[in-house]
Amino acid sequence: MTPPPTAGPLHGTRGIVLTQAWAGNWCTALLGMMGADVIQVEFRGRLDSWRGDYSAPIMAGIRDLPTAEYSWNCNPLYNSVSLNKRCITLDLGTPEGVGVFRRLVVYADFVAENFSPRVLGNLGIDYDALAKIKPDIIVASLSAYGHDGPWANIPGIGGTIEPTAGQSALLGYVDGPPLNSGQMYPDPIAGLYGVLGIVSALHHRERTGRGQYVDLSMQESNLSIVGDAALEFTMNGTQRPRLANRHTTFAPHGIFGTLGDDRWVALACESEAQWSALCDVARHPEWRADPRFVTNAARKANEDALEAVISAWTAEADRDDLVARLIGAGVVAAPVLHSLEVAQDAHLRARGVVREVEHPEVGARTQSTLPMHFSRTPANIVRHAPLQGQHTYEVLDELLGMTSAEVDELVRLGVSGTGPPDGADLGAI
Amino acid sequence: MTGALDGTRVLDISTTTAGAWCTRLLAALGADVVVVEGPSGHPLRAIAPFDATGSSIPAAYWLADKRSVTLDLDTPDGQATVRRLAARVDILVSSYRPSELAARGLTYADMATPALVMGHVTPHGMDGPLAEVPGNDLTDAARSGWASINGNLGREPLKPAAWGGSMCSGVAAAGAIVAALFHRDRHPGEGQEVDVGEVEVLAGMFAPALLRSVYANEPYGRRDSADSLGGPVPVKDGHFALTLSRAHFWRDAMNLLGLTDLAEDPRWGASFYRQQHRDEYSKRVTDAMSEWNKADLFEELAVRRVVAGPVLTMAELAANEHLRERGFWLKPEDDPDSPEMPGTPFKLSDTPLALHHAAPKPGAHTAEVLREMEASS
Repeated sequence: MTPPPTAGPLHGTRGIVLTQAWAGNWCTALLGMMGADVIQVEFRGRLDSWRGDYSAPIMAGIRDLPTAEYSWNCNPLYNSVSLNKRCITLDLGTPEGVGVFRRLVVYADFVAENFSPRVLGNLGIDYDALAKIKPDIIVASLSAYGHDGPWANIPGIGGTIEPTAGQSALLGYVDGPPLNSGQMYPDPIAGLYGVLGIVSALHHRERTGRGQYVDLSMQESNLSIVGDAALEFTMNGTQRPRLANRHTTFAPHGIFGTLGDDRWVALACESEAQWSALCDVARHPEWRADPRFVTNAARKANEDALEAVISAWTAEADRDDLVARLIGAGVVAAPVLHSLEVAQDAHLRARGVVREVEHPEVGARTQSTLPMHFSRTPANIVRHAPLQGQHTYEVLDELLGMTSAEVDELVRLGVSGTGPPDGADLGAI
Repeated sequence: MTGALDGTRVLDISTTTAGAWCTRLLAALGADVVVVEGPSGHPLRAIAPFDATGSSIPAAYWLADKRSVTLDLDTPDGQATVRRLAARVDILVSSYRPSELAARGLTYADMATPALVMGHVTPHGMDGPLAEVPGNDLTDAARSGWASINGNLGREPLKPAAWGGSMCSGVAAAGAIVAALFHRDRHPGEGQEVDVGEVEVLAGMFAPALLRSVYANEPYGRRDSADSLGGPVPVKDGHFALTLSRAHFWRDAMNLLGLTDLAEDPRWGASFYRQQHRDEYSKRVTDAMSEWNKADLFEELAVRRVVAGPVLTMAELAANEHLRERGFWLKPEDDPDSPEMPGTPFKLSDTPLALHHAAPKPGAHTAEVLREMEASS
């Protein structure tokens, strides 16, 4: 099923990227997995928060491995969202560091970053400055609130954008307060949109020779994801209540407990035929005739009672057996897989999306890779997240022809290197 | 100025939110998108809530900026028309399972157009053990692991709000399709199939929790309770999240809240230390926050350049001065009487995205589109 490894649709393009944390790192990792040569430029004095703190211990389960050396190379957060990149370090706070960066940009098709809006300008490498060096450059900024408007310089991260993009107010139990999701999901949403913005700009440049600036606001991109609820307000004047797992239209539509600890089934009926089939699987044919459940509209109006009878039934069932019987009967159903089950999932492995990736310090671990399949340009080469500064010598030689003695000099000056910069306060960086 | 996909033609035979959002984004980028609706209308037109005239509000959002043709894909005539239309477009988008496409003679091979980019966006992708199993936004969240870490410990896992999983899959599919166009730019005539599985998109969005769990060799669970670092907590007039990620955010926020001992002790500067010892400060921080209004707290933290998240309602977002100044809310260019709609998710300086048309009536462009097809054949 898995075709031979070949480069993806973006083969032949290169990004020099300053991306960090989740949104930016995952955006450029996706581009890397699609075939772009993505070179991450790290700023050691401002360690990527997803590499952790320099002073943090290597996490339990990894720290005893003989190969595990530095916590910042063994952080699962960073390593999960940084596949298919090379990494160099440059101190962009020094003239030498910025000088090397500007020389590299000449060889780039796109630059991406997710600093606060003022940072690039302060470093002298914003879009206008880079376009003077490379007129058709594409520069993408993924920021909290975009690069103009009154909130432009207010910082934000996924956990604060989820509330300010209207998502938290919609997420939660029917009887409960607003919630944030289990991780900072506004980040990968911005990352996916960043991919669309950058590939659209690459396509336009290919046709016209023109570069451009991509201004992505995490708030706006995340609000677009719940835009139907925004439009509900502008059209009907109503704030959609929190629905938990319920659907605006169909019932049942939910997640119900089964036998065992923390084992759940997701099930939904999107037609009367599916409801009828569910009644058969449940061996409760009388539900079909129950006036509370006789039509979708009746089930929606009596959803608490509907969920009570379904919960009582599923509580006595084995999760996987139940899912198999529901799917066999044509009902929309799935097990709620926990993370280690996802890592072993036969379907995701058969598709090549979940697979082992060998990492120099951590060894072979199961990772989630590119969720896109291309028939002509399969994009199925996966490389581990880079160690900090792993490719400094290689990239500076390959693109700029710098000798190892010249790079040694940058290291001696503290402009490049690995690990915490000299004199750093490890706890406070 | 024109869009990045100006002159690009798209035929959309998808029936799902993910497919509709994918083509809606292609339209925003400038593509001419023709959506095929069956004789009883697009299935998304049945999705609540409805406006005063009984029209689906989600459909108004998802189907905007497209032209609509009515074709019955269960008849040979309808299928043949799709094949003829596909021969003159750049992109075909489908949400059908492999057997459903084969039964209708609508596979990529059936299109016999090598330059065509055919995007599939389906719950489980076009091959593998689950390819023929139906799914939706709920089962996407379940199978990807996404739901397992969302919501509270001791209660049922939660899927994303609204149609989050489907929408994200639509974004991913649009990105993959434009990447395939880029390949075709460099290799003229080389179309291909692009296959995006919704569960896989969410599994990609689940990657950090997955790898952390794999490293620890234990499942990643749901939170036992909300605290300010994990999500919104109550303040005077609503809820507020203070998910502090950097040392100076913590120091400046704690000083503002009057918790100077937490601000000054350097141990609390490291995020891993805060995560491990959250029980030691969580209640104090929450209590201090409860004395504030969300707007005041946001403003004071913004002055200090600290990340902060007031929980905003759609009414607050509709009135939000920042989004107003950014020009986020849009009316379709051809419908000044339309209510404002959420605008574009990002801005491109040389090829601005736009909202050209309101959602069409079902089949509104059937004659026009078929006439164009005849004229070009």
